[in-house]
Amino acid sequence: MSLLYFDVGVGAMIVQGIVAATAAIVLFSKGIMYKIKLFFGLIKESDYDSIDIDENDTSVDDK
Amino acid sequence: MTSKNTVHEASFRDPSGHLFYDGDVLRRRIFPIYFKQYKQLSEEGFFSTLSRKRILIPHTETSVSDTEIIITPEVIPFITYPYEWSFEQYKQAALLTLRIQKYALSKGFILKDASAYNVTLFEGSPIFIDTLSFDFYEEGTPWRAYKQFITHFLGPLGLAKYHGTDMFKMMQTHIDGIPVKLIASLLPGKSKLSSTLYTNIHLLAKMEGKHSEDYKAESKVARLSLKAQNTILDSLYDYIKKLSLQEATEWGDYYTKTNYDAQAFEAKKKLIKSWVAPLAAKRIIDVGGNDGTFARALESDAHLIVTDIDANAVDQNFAKAQKNKEQNMLAFVCDVLQPVPNIGFNNTERSSLLNRLQAYAPDVTMALALIHHITLSGNVPFEKSAVFFASFSKYLIIEFPEREDSWVTSLLVRKREFIDHFDFYNSVNFEAGFTPYFELEKKETIPGTSRILYLFKKR
Repeated sequence: MSLLYFDVGVGAMIVQGIVAATAAIVLFSKGIMYKIKLFFGLIKESDYDSIDIDENDTSVDDK
Repeated sequence: MTSKNTVHEASFRDPSGHLFYDGDVLRRRIFPIYFKQYKQLSEEGFFSTLSRKRILIPHTETSVSDTEIIITPEVIPFITYPYEWSFEQYKQAALLTLRIQKYALSKGFILKDASAYNVTLFEGSPIFIDTLSFDFYEEGTPWRAYKQFITHFLGPLGLAKYHGTDMFKMMQTHIDGIPVKLIASLLPGKSKLSSTLYTNIHLLAKMEGKHSEDYKAESKVARLSLKAQNTILDSLYDYIKKLSLQEATEWGDYYTKTNYDAQAFEAKKKLIKSWVAPLAAKRIIDVGGNDGTFARALESDAHLIVTDIDANAVDQNFAKAQKNKEQNMLAFVCDVLQPVPNIGFNNTERSSLLNRLQAYAPDVTMALALIHHITLSGNVPFEKSAVFFASFSKYLIIEFPEREDSWVTSLLVRKREFIDHFDFYNSVNFEAGFTPYFELEKKETIPGTSRILYLFKKR
């Protein structure tokens, strides 16, 4: 069942496949770079939470 | 139900339910069309997890019947809109929306709309406020709210990156998000070198143009795997997280270039604090309050609003509040010479600044080092400023820098041959302009400065 009440845009639905494919390549190469930087100790801790919400963590998310 | 049971003016788009005022209490009515979703989201602990983590506004169930479910969300003292946010605030609102969509997907749901108006600032951070924005995930479907996320979040943030936070104000003229084509045309050519901006904006604009004549919705519905959708979310999150602003500040380091010494600065703080304390205020607003230095100096438990015209000062204030975990501090961008108007359908969807301030009804309004800007930069007569402050203030603490003050002198000399037109700028005329609307309670010159501090009470 769909409760859609605004125009999603046909182009926007189609483009997501291309966006995802590009993003996968970019994220993959960034992942490799991350491992290399990690190996040389060049990784700074991010100020932001991870995109994944940890249900078991009881702290309040403030960023 | 009380006799006053009116539907909230902004709450009409979603057929699942709407917000309404039950007397003074804001509640949400859910219709049977959304019962299945609501019950499953409640039973599976979806709402409670997000509420506990202060990601979604918590609510309590008020009544359940066959025809409607009524829930009552926690009260938010003051609603701010995307066009009033600083860069960091906007950025965090975007990241919050992505986190929610990713979490929803992991639980078999989706965020069915990604409007920036579904987020507001509360207790020092952005929070999602539309409890009915979730629906069931259907295997293989792309994210329906994707385009909305781009026009409400990625687009404005991308534009701000290149042109500054004034770009957020475009949300005021495009209430349903900035059109993708417009975003693409405003972004510089080099933005095409970013794989995120190229695919999510430039390519999207092209695809939208190509499919814009699909009047009968005949195009085949695209498919997208769950994994691919998660990849999009991860990549958007990664890109937005790293976005930063290259914009010079107007007031960001204001206090390092004040025209009075540290002693006078402390004297001013002390004086204001001693005037505010006996008023036992529950809500205080500092208009033009920069990074919140003076609001913090009050050391008050009251809810504090600090506005400034400079988004960088708001950013600094926001960062300080988050660092110190000050839940009572709300900072947002506001130009008093051009306050946010009523916008949207019937001019009622998004409230003007003045309407919201009147509803907020601050006990104390502070306007420090502001009147000379309003009067001399904005050419606003004192009476007009008095009407502005009187429309929402109870007590007003206002600082009047005299003509001898170096800031005032500088503003005056810039008037060049018209300097005589501003002979009225003195404390006698200032008082004459304000006393028809306010009673003068206290008046004191700040030691070591050419500035007078006034405490007014609204007549």
